[in-house]
Amino acid sequence: MKRLLARRPELRLAGGLFIVLLLLNLILNPVRFAPANLGVTLGLAAPLIIAAIASMPPILGGRGGIDISVAPLMGLVNVVIVRVLVERAGMTSPFEIVPIVLLIGLASGVLNGFLATILRIQPIVATLGTYLLYAGLTLTISPSPTGTAPAWLKSLAGTGSILPILAVMAIWLLIKRLPIHEHLMSVGSDDRAAFTAGIPVTRVRFLSYVAAGLFGAVGGLSLTGLIGSADPNVANSMTLLAISAVALGGVSLAGGKGGLVAAALGAIDIFLLQSVLTYFNVSTFLLQMAYGAALTVAVALNSERLAQLLSRGRRA
Amino acid sequence: MTGRWRLSGPVVTLLLALLIHVVGMLLIKGFGTTFGVRAMLVLAALLAIASIGQTLVILLGGIDLSIPFVIGFANVAAAQLYGQGVPFAIVLPGVILAAMLVGAFNGALSSILAIHPLIVTLGTGTTLQGAVQLWTKGFPTGGAPAWVQKFVSIGGTIGPIPVPWLIPFTALLALGVVLLLSRTVYGRRLYALGSNPRAARLALVDPVRMWTVTFALSAGFAALAGILLLGFSGSAYAAVGAPYLFQTIAAVVIGGTALVGGRGGFLGTLAGALCLIELTTVLVGLGLQPPLVQATLGVLIVALVAVYGRESHVRELI
Repeated sequence: MKRLLARRPELRLAGGLFIVLLLLNLILNPVRFAPANLGVTLGLAAPLIIAAIASMPPILGGRGGIDISVAPLMGLVNVVIVRVLVERAGMTSPFEIVPIVLLIGLASGVLNGFLATILRIQPIVATLGTYLLYAGLTLTISPSPTGTAPAWLKSLAGTGSILPILAVMAIWLLIKRLPIHEHLMSVGSDDRAAFTAGIPVTRVRFLSYVAAGLFGAVGGLSLTGLIGSADPNVANSMTLLAISAVALGGVSLAGGKGGLVAAALGAIDIFLLQSVLTYFNVSTFLLQMAYGAALTVAVALNSERLAQLLSRGRRA
Repeated sequence: MTGRWRLSGPVVTLLLALLIHVVGMLLIKGFGTTFGVRAMLVLAALLAIASIGQTLVILLGGIDLSIPFVIGFANVAAAQLYGQGVPFAIVLPGVILAAMLVGAFNGALSSILAIHPLIVTLGTGTTLQGAVQLWTKGFPTGGAPAWVQKFVSIGGTIGPIPVPWLIPFTALLALGVVLLLSRTVYGRRLYALGSNPRAARLALVDPVRMWTVTFALSAGFAALAGILLLGFSGSAYAAVGAPYLFQTIAAVVIGGTALVGGRGGFLGTLAGALCLIELTTVLVGLGLQPPLVQATLGVLIVALVAVYGRESHVRELI
C-alpha cells in the first residue's frame, strides 16, 4: 500500500479518506461491515464502483474525453434483462444472458467511440446524445418499476457481489499488460506528441470508449442484481456521481493520469461517506450538501497547483 | 476555417430552426398558430437566457454544470423571500448577487488551483441545492409577483403585439451580450483566453480575474432564468433547472460554439435554443411519448452537431 502511494501520489487523498471513513463506519456500524455481511455491503456499492471504473478510460484519453452515457447504459441493460430477455424471450441461464449483455455493452461502446472519435463530435455532446437515447429507450421498454430478475443475478447483490468487480478488474489488468494502456496514457498526457510519435490516437481513444461500454454492461448486471427487478429510474442519477467518484479518486479530467484503483477508491469513498451520514439519519438534503462540499474540498486539496502554491509560500 | 464560414454559423442554425418549423406546419395541424409560436418563443427565450452564461464560460474554455442548481436556488429563494414579505425590488438583485458570488467562487477556485471546472461547478452546485432544500425543508412556499408572471406568460401581450415582454427583453439582452463579446475589452480578452491561454497571459490578460468574472456572470444569468421560471410556473420547485443541465450545453454546441473555447458566439446559441425547442415541440406534436421524444432528441442532437460542429483531427492541431 505504501509503495503504491509513493508511486501514485494522486491516490494519497482518496486513500486517506478511505481509511478514515472506513474506521468511522466500523465504529458506527459494525454489523454492516462485519465480515459475514461484507458481500451484501459490497453489493450495495458495486454498481457505483463499476460505473466509476467504466467512466474512467475515455477520461484518461484526454482532450475532453468523457462518457456520460455509462449510467443510462446500465439502466438500459437492467430493463433489457428483466423485461426483454427474461419475460419475453424466456431466458434464465447466465450463459445466454451474460453474452447478450456484453454484446450490448460493446455495441454501445462502438457507437460512442464512433461518434466521439471518428465522427469527432465533442465527447460530452456525443455521449449526451446516447444518454438521451438510452434513457428514452429504457422508459419505453419499462415505463415503471416491475418484474423480477433471475435468482443467480440477485445473488450478485449478496454472496457473489465481488464477481462483477473482479471481472472488470481482470479485463483492466489485461489491458494494462498490453501496449494500448501506455498508448492511452500518452495520448491523454499530450495527444500531439503521441500522434507525432506514431501512436494511432484515434484508434486508442476509440477503444477507450469500447472499454467504457463493456464495463458499463457489467455494471448493468450488478445493478440488476441489487434492485432485483426492472427499474427505469435508478441508473440516471448515477451519471454525475460516477464522474464525481472518478475525480475524487484523483483521475485527472484533463487526461493521462489515474487508473482503476483511483476510480474505484473514489466510488468507495462516496459510498462510505453516504453510509456514515445515513447512520446519523440526516436528511437527504444534508447528505447532498455534505457530498457536494466533500467533492469540492477533495479536488481542491488534490490539485497539483495547490501543492506548488504551498511550497512556494514556504520557501518565500 | 474561413471567417465567412464562422459568420454564417448562426444563420445556418436559424435556417435549420425555420426548416423544422415548416416541417412542423406541414405535419401537424395547428402547429403554426399564434399560440403555438408564442409558447415556443417563450420557452426558447427562457432557455436562451439560461444559456448566456454557458456560452460565455464555454468561449473561455470552461463548462458550467452548476447552472441547473443555481436556477433551482434562485427559483426557490426568490419565492421564499418574497413570500416572507421581502419587497421584490430587494429580492431580485439580492438573489442574483448571491448567485454571482457562488459563480465567482467557481471561477476563482477552478483557475487558481487549475481544477477542471466541470467538477468544481458540480460540487458547488450540489452543495447549493442541498442547502436550499435544507432551508425550505423540501417544501418551498411563496411565489412571484403578478407582474413577473405577466412578464413571462405565454398569453401576455404588449399592447396589440401578441407576445409577452419577455421576448423583447430577451432580444435586448442578446444584443447586449453580442455587443459585450464584440465591442468590449472583456469580450476581446474572453476570446483571447479561450483560444490560447498561454498567449493571452503574455498579452497581460489576468486568467483568474477573467474566470471569476465570467463564472459570476454565468451564475447571474442562471439566477435570472430561475426567477423568470418562477413567474412562468407560478410556484417554486428546487429541481426546476434539471432539464437545463444538458440543454444549455446542447444549445451552445448546436449554435456552433466549440467546447474547446475561443470560437463561436451568442447569436448561435440563440438560434440553437430555438432549434431545440422547435424540435421538441414537433416531436411532441407528432404524438410521441415523452421517453421517445427524449430518445429521438438525443439522436437528432448528435446528427445536427455531426453536420457542422465537428472537432478537428489531431493532425491538424500540430
